[in-house]
Amino acid sequence: MSGEPLTESSLIPAAVFLLPVLAGVIVFSAARLGRVFQQWISVLTAALVTGFGVWMVGQTLKGVVLTTWNRELRVDALSALMVIIIGGIGLLTTIYSARYLDERLAEGPLARRTHTFHGLLLWFLGTMLWGCVTNNVIMLYVAIEATTLTSGLLVAFYWDRRALEAGYKYLMLLTIGITFALFGCVLLYASAAATNKLAGASALLISDIRGVVQFIPSGTAAITIAFLVIGFGTKAGIAPFHPWLPDAHAEAPTPVSVLLSGVMIKMALYALARTVSIFYPAWPQVTIFLVALGCFTMLLGIILALTQNDLKRLLAYSSVSQMGYVLVGIALGTYLGCYGGLFHLLNHALYKSLLFMCVGAVMYATGARRISELGGLRQRMPITSACFFLGALAISGFPPLNGFWSKLTIYLALARAGLWWAAIIAILASILTMVVMIRAGYRVFWGTPPQGSAAYQVDQGGAACQADQGGAVAPTLREVPARMFVPMMILAAACALLGIFPQAAYPLLDRATTVLATLGK
Amino acid sequence: MNPEALNTGLIETLSLTLVITSVAAVEMRRLKFSIVAYVCQALLIVGVLLSFAAVNKALYWWAATALVTKAILTPWFLFRAIRGVDDRELKPVIGFGPSVVIAALLMLSFFRLTHGRVALLAPTELGQLGVFRTNLAAASTVFALGLYAVLTRRDAIKTVIGLCLLENGVHLSLVSLAPGLPETALFGVATEVVVTVFLLLYVIGGVREVFGSTDTFRLRELRW
Repeated sequence: MSGEPLTESSLIPAAVFLLPVLAGVIVFSAARLGRVFQQWISVLTAALVTGFGVWMVGQTLKGVVLTTWNRELRVDALSALMVIIIGGIGLLTTIYSARYLDERLAEGPLARRTHTFHGLLLWFLGTMLWGCVTNNVIMLYVAIEATTLTSGLLVAFYWDRRALEAGYKYLMLLTIGITFALFGCVLLYASAAATNKLAGASALLISDIRGVVQFIPSGTAAITIAFLVIGFGTKAGIAPFHPWLPDAHAEAPTPVSVLLSGVMIKMALYALARTVSIFYPAWPQVTIFLVALGCFTMLLGIILALTQNDLKRLLAYSSVSQMGYVLVGIALGTYLGCYGGLFHLLNHALYKSLLFMCVGAVMYATGARRISELGGLRQRMPITSACFFLGALAISGFPPLNGFWSKLTIYLALARAGLWWAAIIAILASILTMVVMIRAGYRVFWGTPPQGSAAYQVDQGGAACQADQGGAVAPTLREVPARMFVPMMILAAACALLGIFPQAAYPLLDRATTVLATLGK
Repeated sequence: MNPEALNTGLIETLSLTLVITSVAAVEMRRLKFSIVAYVCQALLIVGVLLSFAAVNKALYWWAATALVTKAILTPWFLFRAIRGVDDRELKPVIGFGPSVVIAALLMLSFFRLTHGRVALLAPTELGQLGVFRTNLAAASTVFALGLYAVLTRRDAIKTVIGLCLLENGVHLSLVSLAPGLPETALFGVATEVVVTVFLLLYVIGGVREVFGSTDTFRLRELRW
């Protein structure tokens, strides 16, 4: 048929997730070869993955759907979008983490565990990529559970009281949550098979289930959707299933926080969108329920962010709020809503990674992360300061940055759907986001430096000087090294460019939206 | 699939006994006995899988892996986690008496609810047969009891046992919903949580080392 996409068999979808897994094995087994070797392996692997992602995007823009192993793996434009996000952010994170970890892990017992860090980081990337290319509903669950397992030890990496508490909560709450998703997947599989309409197709493949989902009885469909939303929603940080998120994102080493907030929660929302959106045509009432859940998430997340003094927790709660926007957009099921949701997903990956890297840079330079312990950093850290403000303005939806366009698209989609109450909540949450982010940025970079802070002291001219825990003045505080600020600058440039030229992302987003927009244009 | 090939009496007996082992695993105050109750449940699940294998030979593979992961590896990890420490469970949120009553109420209500409204979970004629009704009712009850344990127990080891019950409930529902499909065995094997249990117990070991206890109520460093 003319409307059907061209399917092409390729091994690249398999290579894209097997490569990081294999590289992880090499890093684990080469513990004695030193940190530099481990870092290079990580960076090279992430670069190759990004290259594969670019190739996949090119193929999907030509209208080709890539499949592997009898359609077990399937890459359409939506999968390609996720692969390029994971690859790109993964690459910048591995570059950033090299210098960041050199400093943090130079001494002490953690110095012997750098191979664990890099190996798990690669496996974490590999499992996220697997989840984005699989077409098998069970393997989707397995991949998402695998992301929890590979990142669980990264969250608890520092192995102190806070890290262990965060690691325990992360593993326990996410595993419980994802068990609900497993139940949902079981019901989806069994009920699709029970329709007897598959005609040779497989009840395990999402692309095949999509064709028979309207024959599933409404009661079964409702239970299935509920389990999928609870399960994948927990992993995506959707309220009220979000309590694990601020602890894990704040206590993990900053490069891991970047991946958790910048990528992983999106991958879970991708799983939710893949599985639940297939129900929209037969049960459009689901969309209202999900829009309401998204509005609740965006409002609760930003209200909790308002009360935070810890910069990383503030960003983590802001991630909860931003995931609400993505959910609202995708939940609408219309072309405009899904376009806005996916655009916001891409934008949030960029500016939240940027913001976490900036906070990591502040921690690297000062050893502090509480807003009350920081101030006046703009003179000594001009690049970090500029990057943070650009990210803060972008996440607040300030024109002409990228966040403005995606939020505007979501507002328009809500208005077109007649959901004015949701549009008002979204605008209100956006205003609160601006208050939270600009206030935090002002106090940290422009505000009055705290006197007698344990983290650092300030000389007469206003320049900050780093101090150790004992209060003695340490070497002068300065901008972070290039290997840390270059990834930040690339992300900041991407936020600005996507704001000035939002049409640059249109070809890929348009095709990806067509996959999700089951309720039509 | 030919349901007449199934030993329905045996399967129903195994399923109902599964529910009893769940209550025992949740309510036993000595962690050692809780783990033993879990081992019994794992063996019963292996029995259920073997019984269903009469209509789907692939289920023999799942039964074999379930024997290794559920009945051997998981209990081994759990026993290692309590080795050398007092195995009495930390006092849970709800006392022993009320907890038994709640568990019994949960058991009765979930069993009756699922048994009566099985069509919601199993929209097929096969699913309406007695043996599948009982199995699905047992599965949802095991799931509910697992969730109850996870939500009300403050001992981290006990919450891991609760998590294992959750998974057993899902697996029992899987084999009851689609026993005849060739992919069911692969599905079951791929979704074993033995690695999760291992990692969780590893982190709990760290928690005990640093906090001096496996009391989850003492994990209060991170609030709001």
